[in-house]
Amino acid sequence: MTKTISRRSFLKITGGTTAGLSLAATLPDRFLLWAEEQGMLKATYTPTFCEICFWKCGVMAKTINGRVVKLEGNLAHAGSRGKLCGRGNGGAGLLYDPNRLKTPLINVGARGEGKYRKASWDEALNVVAEKMTKIKEKYGPESMALFTHGTPTDHFLPLIQAYGSQNVGMPSFAQCRGPRDVGLELTFGEGIGSPERVDLANSKVVVLLGSHLGENMHNSQVQDFCDGIARGAKLVVVDPRFSVAAGKAHTWLPIRPATDLALILAWINVIVSEGLYDKAYIDSYAVGFNELAAAVKEYTPDWAAVETDIPAGKIIETARLMAKNAPAVCVHPGRHATWHGDDVQRSRAIGILAALLGSWGREGGLYLATTASFPKGESKPFPTPARDALNLGPYPFAGGEGVTQVIRSATITGNPYPIKGWMVTGTNLMKAVPNQKETIEAIKKLDLLVVVDVMPFDTAMMADVILPECSYLERHDALAVGKGKSLTVSLRQPVVEPRFESKPGWWIAKELGKRLGLAEYFPWNTLEDKIKSQCAAWGVNYNELKQKGSLTVPNTSNPYITPLNQPTFKTKSGKIELASSELKEKGFDAVPRYTKHPQPPAGEFRLIYGRSAVHTFSRTTNNPELNELYSENEVWLNAKKAAELGISNGAKVRLENQDGAVSNAVRAKVTERIREDCVYLVHGFGTNSKELSRAFARGADDQGLITRFAVDPICGSTGMRVNFVRIKKEGLDA
Amino acid sequence: MPKYAMVIDQRRCVACMACVVACKKENDVPLGDFRTRVVEKTEGTFPQLRMELRSELCNHCDNPPCVYNCPTGASYKNKDNGMVLLKKYRCVGCKSCVAACPYDARYINEEKGFADKCTFCEHRVKEGKEPACVATCIGKSRIFGDLEDPKSAVSIALRENHSEVLLASAGTKPRVFYIKKYGKPE
Amino acid sequence: MELTVTGANAITSPHLHVWDWRVSLYLFLGGLSAGLAIMTSILHVRKGGKLAEGEIAAVTAPLYVPLILSIGMFFIFLDLERKLNVFWFYLTVQPLSPMSWGSWGLLVFYPICILYALAMLPDQYRPKLTLPFLINLSERLRAYRLHLAACNFGMGIFIGIYTGVLLSSFVARPLWNSAILPVLFLTSAMSAGAAFMIMIAKEKKVKLFFTKVDIWLILAEMVLLPLFFYGQYTSSGAHRESILPFFTFNHDYFWYGLGLLLLVVILPAAMVLKFLEVQEDHGEELTPVALMKMNLSALLVLLGGLIIRFSFVYAGQLSHLS
Ligand SMILES: Nc1nc2c(c(=O)[nH]1)N[C@H]1C(S)=C(S)[C@@H](COP(=O)(O)OP(=O)(O)OC[C@H]3O[C@@H](n4cnc5c(=O)[nH]c(N)nc54)[C@H](O)[C@@H]3O)O[C@H]1N2
Ligand SMILES: Nc1nc2c(c(=O)[nH]1)N[C@H]1C(S)=C(S)[C@@H](COP(=O)(O)OP(=O)(O)OC[C@H]3O[C@@H](n4cnc5c(=O)[nH]c(N)nc54)[C@H](O)[C@@H]3O)O[C@H]1N2
Ligand code: SF4
Ligand code: SF4
Ligand code: SF4
Ligand code: SF4
Ligand code: SF4
Ligand SMILES: [Mo]
Repeated sequence: MTKTISRRSFLKITGGTTAGLSLAATLPDRFLLWAEEQGMLKATYTPTFCEICFWKCGVMAKTINGRVVKLEGNLAHAGSRGKLCGRGNGGAGLLYDPNRLKTPLINVGARGEGKYRKASWDEALNVVAEKMTKIKEKYGPESMALFTHGTPTDHFLPLIQAYGSQNVGMPSFAQCRGPRDVGLELTFGEGIGSPERVDLANSKVVVLLGSHLGENMHNSQVQDFCDGIARGAKLVVVDPRFSVAAGKAHTWLPIRPATDLALILAWINVIVSEGLYDKAYIDSYAVGFNELAAAVKEYTPDWAAVETDIPAGKIIETARLMAKNAPAVCVHPGRHATWHGDDVQRSRAIGILAALLGSWGREGGLYLATTASFPKGESKPFPTPARDALNLGPYPFAGGEGVTQVIRSATITGNPYPIKGWMVTGTNLMKAVPNQKETIEAIKKLDLLVVVDVMPFDTAMMADVILPECSYLERHDALAVGKGKSLTVSLRQPVVEPRFESKPGWWIAKELGKRLGLAEYFPWNTLEDKIKSQCAAWGVNYNELKQKGSLTVPNTSNPYITPLNQPTFKTKSGKIELASSELKEKGFDAVPRYTKHPQPPAGEFRLIYGRSAVHTFSRTTNNPELNELYSENEVWLNAKKAAELGISNGAKVRLENQDGAVSNAVRAKVTERIREDCVYLVHGFGTNSKELSRAFARGADDQGLITRFAVDPICGSTGMRVNFVRIKKEGLDA
Repeated sequence: MPKYAMVIDQRRCVACMACVVACKKENDVPLGDFRTRVVEKTEGTFPQLRMELRSELCNHCDNPPCVYNCPTGASYKNKDNGMVLLKKYRCVGCKSCVAACPYDARYINEEKGFADKCTFCEHRVKEGKEPACVATCIGKSRIFGDLEDPKSAVSIALRENHSEVLLASAGTKPRVFYIKKYGKPE
Repeated sequence: MELTVTGANAITSPHLHVWDWRVSLYLFLGGLSAGLAIMTSILHVRKGGKLAEGEIAAVTAPLYVPLILSIGMFFIFLDLERKLNVFWFYLTVQPLSPMSWGSWGLLVFYPICILYALAMLPDQYRPKLTLPFLINLSERLRAYRLHLAACNFGMGIFIGIYTGVLLSSFVARPLWNSAILPVLFLTSAMSAGAAFMIMIAKEKKVKLFFTKVDIWLILAEMVLLPLFFYGQYTSSGAHRESILPFFTFNHDYFWYGLGLLLLVVILPAAMVLKFLEVQEDHGEELTPVALMKMNLSALLVLLGGLIIRFSFVYAGQLSHLS
């Protein structure tokens, strides 16, 4: 029996009293809660939305006497429905993390040395503005790039665009959803958005490829998933690891990693060859069926069985299960889709399967987005850059969020033109983008690295200037418009005053804008003013929004296809493209073809990774309330392999990849829950930043071992599950 | 007299730990201590595996050994609502109740020295709210309510499903009921 | 089976961690004082008081009882996390809580053993009490010696049993949850009391008398101990598992295995020694060698009692229902 228990040593066992161990930091809460219960103090609830991940759940923040004591879900919000996930519940841990960035900091050592001095906002902003102005004068504004993720984007994207650069990279594209969205756009003319429009609550069959719902804790999505299961949905989980979702599955298919496309093509083969597809649906909405049918002929279940290590019988059985329950079948298109470099085609295959089942626009499948929207406001147009943006690289279908690593390469080579300044807001590039060596090399070439962050994570600790943004509980941000079943709008507003000298992102952007001569792009006094006028323009009652946190525009929902609610497909043909004309045009396969990926040689394991339910990437690893539950990751290792290697559960090991990159020492989780050919890490751990008292050097950094990545030629996304590691036993160390 | 109870529908649990964090915040549970936990149990060998997810908390036993063993009356069973609660001002920190609980549901507040445990969020229930862990349960796995009310969610859940209690043989008569995987009557 | 628990408390996980050496010492010293109280009463009533004649222990033993008890209670006090609340023990009676009726019992035992000590004070020692009130009291109590001896004896039995019931009442901890435990603890307490008496007694006849008594008590212990393990072994799975620490000779359980091994050596050794002492034809005066042997065997008994308390307190916390 193996036991992993989150605990700290019980100090009392050594005897003595406990008075000295008082946890002074938690005292105020206790007192406040007590005083509230006694009716001496009153609690207030302020609505806002969460930023611990990108689901943006509506929050009701309970404060007593100016201190946030609890976060609860906002019932009026579609993403939370009154509930928060574990991470959202622990959001105040960020607000009160003693390791937070407190003042602007200016680097006084070599770049990356992490030596800083405190600076005033004025000084820090002036330094940044000066350097940015210099870059603009010397190299042109396009030589300044922005890396951004999350709500800071709403403030810093306009800033950088106004400054004159379109060179923007968000890890949400090339390291996350890019290939999925591109694959679906090529098939249906649009993606499934975020929050994904998966109708899991009403599905009769749910198919998860990877998508480790439960560990992947996107709030309302998991609520729907659980509702679906409770209503009796059959669950098929394809995962080399026995994930939590696999634990709930009726059929778990422990696939050989990197062979999902073979499985999907074989499913399509069965459905086409057995004539199980939705003929009426395909006839009215799709083109390219014959081309598809011809192309998938070779992908028989027997063939796929060899590739995927899944018995042909199971492949046929699951294909028929889907067909039988169509169209209420949700083959989840996934979210983090940058796996092996052919990810657009895998997503295409999923889209094609969904189309054959007729599940796009159907109850229990993938529902249609509301067509309602708010009127676009007018703002001063941004200058057109003199030189083309290079952030899409040579990839014909790269998306508007930009391809991070292309900007990085250009920074290193100076081609096609030099990139001399990086502004980084809300992303920890060292953890988010593969091959850290390149990131470091690029940073060395810069004249300016300015990071806007809440916490001193790895990337921030390499900056010339660090600008401390206040946490999401202390600021206004842009209105969040949701286009799920209905059109919704949600407000982020401060729950408490910013702590220390931290400032909201909008203020930082506006102040920088002022210093860069771009004040006219920020024609409002405070962001709240802007929000108010936006609300007025949208016909949204600001006071009501302020009070409720989230409003749903009535009568904007039309999720399913009906005779009166016909879908439109914004593809070239105006139909679902089973064979993609656009791909053919650009010289790619119109119908996905299987390409074989290398498998690890004997003695090595493919490195795969995923989520812990209580963490978001690296950003929560130092959060006291979440760190308590899971303070370091473990490397999952198949029990049989572990026995061969003589590694016992809990033993410390290091991982070394094919290029000689070695991880921190990390505990082995010896388990039956994973195949023999791969090892698994929860992403985000093993930070190098000594400023993080809880997270520093805890666990192993998967990104540090991802020195190789397979770029998808269609959209430029980086397949990151292509590295092989060996396991090295660590010397006797408790 | 309400008879409060919790039903945990294990089929709906996804081990997301929202309950664990919410409980800690709601009740300001000290660092390192917990009133509720989540157990992830996997049996079998690859690839024939079974998983059980089970959130656990104080069972508010009708036959509570923690109360019986408390020498000061600090631990008591509330006669009005059946909750097993604590009068902290009476507690001497003898830890008998901790030893007596077969479910390891208790801890000692290291700072103050008193025993502590899940209260079924009595303060919230009094205000007509659900316990914090129930309110935030992502899977709606935790159901709370009054057994005396046949229309309550707990009564319905217990009527419609097989349910079990933990360590029934201990004779503690728990008031937290578990609906296991595939426990529904055919 | 793979088990991952998120949100476990260190005080109960991976196993119970509530009580340590303080409670072990409390149980041992509480038991010793109870055993000694029993033995004192026996000493005084035996042969209509003849056995106690000329025996200094007849005076000192009753004084040791409250002293040892106080030290024992000091250790349980040390263990309380909220010492200032200790008065709550005496503002309530919790009939199902052994700790509650134990603390009331101790409250009764305390004055009884003190009154008893006063009552048993021979005339020549009485002036040493200095306080006229005490001297007076001591004199008055003379008349109730027999009653007090009976009470003292009864309370000794009660407290001896209580130290075992304190543990045996926990359904949650299968190692403790055995009806034999209170009997075993009582026997061990009496045996320790007899051993202590042997050590403080001066007279040969007294020493030999309690040696004989102790032989029977050790014998009883040697029957009870295997019976206890047998009972656990033939009970539920959790009970059976609960005795594993004593029989698993690996690193984690080293101390438990050693403890049992020591008991297996100590108890018979003490008994044999005592048997030889009784058999031996001692002269008028005990030789220094004989004295040493007697003290040694008594010490072994005390050590055995200590081992039993420590190993049971700790091992019981490893056991759990499953
Ligand atoms: N708690 C939590 N939830 C999150 C996040 C978070 O940080 N924390 N982040 C959110 C974001 S932005 C994203 S993009 C999503 C990402 O979450 P998902 O979209 O669910 O990510 P995946 O990569 O699909 O899933 C990881 C799973 O894929 C399995 N896997 C690895 N290789 C293969 C393979 O070759 N084939 C198959 N079929 N499975 C494989 C792994 O074993 C693991 O179980 O999560 C979101 N939700
Ligand atoms: N190896 C590997 N790489 C991955 C992934 C993986 O699973 N494995 N996942 C990929 C995916 S799906 C994604 S979406 C990306 C995520 O990539 P990122 O979004 O970069 O994720 P984090 O590592 O959490 O870094 C977030 C940074 O933003 C900061 N931050 C948090 N809140 C705020 C705020 O309110 N304001 C500001 N200014 N800063 C804030 C945090 O302190 C932290 O420094 O990573 C991708 N990269
Ligand atoms: S899913 Fe969780 S972390 Fe993400 S926004 Fe919602 S509550 Fe916050
Ligand atoms: S679960 Fe434990 S603490 Fe809760 S009432 Fe039952 S015995 Fe007492
Ligand atoms: S620790 Fe407190 S609540 Fe528990 S038994 Fe002792 S006095 Fe009662
Ligand atoms: S009922 Fe309240 S105290 Fe009990 S586990 Fe749930 S949140 Fe915690
Ligand atoms: S919140 Fe609900 S679903 Fe999540 S771990 Fe707790 S009981 Fe399970
Ligand atoms: Mo992502």
